[in-house]
Amino acid sequence: MNTVDEILDYAIDQEQQAADFYADMAKRSEKSGMKEIFQEFSREEERHRDKLLDVKRGEQELTAHQQVLDLKITDYLVEVETTENISYQDALIIAMKRERAAFRLYSDLAEKVSEGDLREVFLGLAKEEAKHKLFFESEYDDRILQEN
Amino acid sequence: MSLKDLVSPFFVWQRAFEKPYTVGLRPIEERPGAPAYRGFHINMSDDCVGCGSCYTICQNHAIDMVKVEGLEARSGDSGLRPRFDYGRCCWCGLCIDICTAGSLRMSNEYAWFTTDPDEFRFVAGVENKSWQGSTAGYHRHPDYHLFPPRRVEMEMLGPGESVSSFTEVVKGYSEEQAKQEADRCVECGICVATCPAHMDVPDYIRSIRDGDYEKGLQLMYRTNPFPATCGRICTRRCESVCPVGIQGEPVAIRWLKRFIVDQVEDSDYARILPEVADDTGKRVAIVGAGPGGLSTAYYLRLKGHAVSVFEAQSRPGGMLRYGVPGYRLPDEALDKDIEYIRSLGVEIHLNHSVGRETAFTSLLEDYDAVFVSTGLNVPSKMRIQGEDHPRAMAGLTLLDDVANGRDPQIGGSVAVIGGGNVAMDAARVSRRLGAEVTVLYRRRIEDMPADTEEIEESQAEGCTFVTQAIPLEAMDAEQEGKVVLKWGEAEMVPDPGGGRPRPVLQEDRMHLDTFDTIISAIGQGSNLDYIPAGIADQLQIKWGKFIPGDYQQMVVQKLFVGGDVANATADAISAIEDGHHAARGIDRFLSTGQRS
Repeated sequence: MNTVDEILDYAIDQEQQAADFYADMAKRSEKSGMKEIFQEFSREEERHRDKLLDVKRGEQELTAHQQVLDLKITDYLVEVETTENISYQDALIIAMKRERAAFRLYSDLAEKVSEGDLREVFLGLAKEEAKHKLFFESEYDDRILQEN
Repeated sequence: MSLKDLVSPFFVWQRAFEKPYTVGLRPIEERPGAPAYRGFHINMSDDCVGCGSCYTICQNHAIDMVKVEGLEARSGDSGLRPRFDYGRCCWCGLCIDICTAGSLRMSNEYAWFTTDPDEFRFVAGVENKSWQGSTAGYHRHPDYHLFPPRRVEMEMLGPGESVSSFTEVVKGYSEEQAKQEADRCVECGICVATCPAHMDVPDYIRSIRDGDYEKGLQLMYRTNPFPATCGRICTRRCESVCPVGIQGEPVAIRWLKRFIVDQVEDSDYARILPEVADDTGKRVAIVGAGPGGLSTAYYLRLKGHAVSVFEAQSRPGGMLRYGVPGYRLPDEALDKDIEYIRSLGVEIHLNHSVGRETAFTSLLEDYDAVFVSTGLNVPSKMRIQGEDHPRAMAGLTLLDDVANGRDPQIGGSVAVIGGGNVAMDAARVSRRLGAEVTVLYRRRIEDMPADTEEIEESQAEGCTFVTQAIPLEAMDAEQEGKVVLKWGEAEMVPDPGGGRPRPVLQEDRMHLDTFDTIISAIGQGSNLDYIPAGIADQLQIKWGKFIPGDYQQMVVQKLFVGGDVANATADAISAIEDGHHAARGIDRFLSTGQRS
């Protein structure tokens, strides 16, 4: 990944893979009501992909230096398995962990590159993933931790 | 005509430049009214809740409650405002004295000229009048009330006594106390709209004043067949909107309900309450013998339908039996409600789990309609490291053990994690089992979803509250049979989305505390595994809850749902209303074969 476009293509591909993953989970899920949840997750990832496509076309910009709240809910949750009988709580944990991993990947890459433009793109992508993580963490806070 | 007759009118003009003998009509020499004069009315419309107490007390029928454009009815506000008719008003000020919200007063303005008599009928505080901003005039003295602002105190076991046993903490009103408390009700009916079951609160409170408790019981059973239960543990949204509570304490509606039920012997119920209609030949299956299922059963049985209830546990009552401890709801009170429903011919099959003993599909095949109300009985997992430690357990498991007479062996020190009612119950039960209790909650006390009364009583009984504390890990302690809880302090930060503040872990402020048991009570979920995939796929289900249509009916026509597994509020009174509502829908469905 040596150019901005290559980086964006990689990120777009990652979002598409996430959308496909959730679409597949929607097909496999046997638990009542979870198909719709995974379909919604998949649509959310498609929205992320579309935003990056807009960025690549120059129609939107990534903001690398914006503050995004980190609720740190993901950090202390255990890994869960992706089974056909997965609950909404565990589905959210999977989504949060995936967004956190993506955030870390782009943050690490930003640390490693010296070129200004590329660094800005990685930081911008990291912020995007941080926002996605906040979206799922807020949902977890509202729906799962209602009494906690 | 003489010359004098022609000229004399002009002589008038010689007076034109003299000082007049009479005063002119305008400008009038206005004298302000006395400071406490009872002049034109002022209503602070934003503070008014449209309770209509002014309308009720007015002896001259000078006040009407009217709809105001742009003001919608909502919980705690009828959306109506008082309109005054100055052709009738005698300026007695009783409307000011009774005003529950304190929004109504009188200015000291008394002069109002207009050629349109209809203008003297106006909605104070809504129509723009010059005296609306006046601070002078008649106000009710803050210490003067037509009804006592404080409720009659309920006698309760003291904290030292209450934690020594599972005896009911609240002792109940005497007849004299109940009548005294009933006298505080202004009969506005704001509570009726807010109560999920729309209980006829003003009328059953009036039955206490009249000493006619049988009438009170009849009124309650019209919309709620669990009055003995709700008279003890209802979440009482009615009280949260009671206008008497705006400037004092709300009427103790829940305790008055309990008083009525306690006055009537179970053996008299059949004589007092409605009879079952003739057999219709229709059969309805109900899954779950909680408040939702049994309310549906009651109202369907009254219509003459045969009702079979399937309950997985060994006793009926659902979460009321296994999730609410006896010091809040004794078995005798719950049984008074349930046994009457059963006495009408409702069959309750205990230890009978749908999905295990009977297939869900066979219920749909064998019965004319099916109502599902299986509740939220699966404790949510914290999903933190070490959660399955042998010294960690769920709050619901603790409550279930105690309700079934088993010793949960929690030891002498307990950490309860959570801030809902189950957490408070787990904490208070643990105190009664002799443990020192620390409640850890991620947010602040004011964010706790538990009933305020439960929080206060937990504190009074000696539970220690640690707020803004996030549980992170459970691990082995050095001492055998104990567990270490790792938790971190949190700071509350504003939610970027505009929601309630969110706790954020402060990683430099970690704690390790040792307990005998960790009890997690962070919420409950549903288990719908008994519904086969082929049927579940057709149903609208989100976050583990059914999303019913009108009259609680699902897409599968025979299927109706209600209770915690189908509503957002997850309390007994909402489940009861779901049951009543579904029973009307099922009866209609059985009578006409039509969708509700």
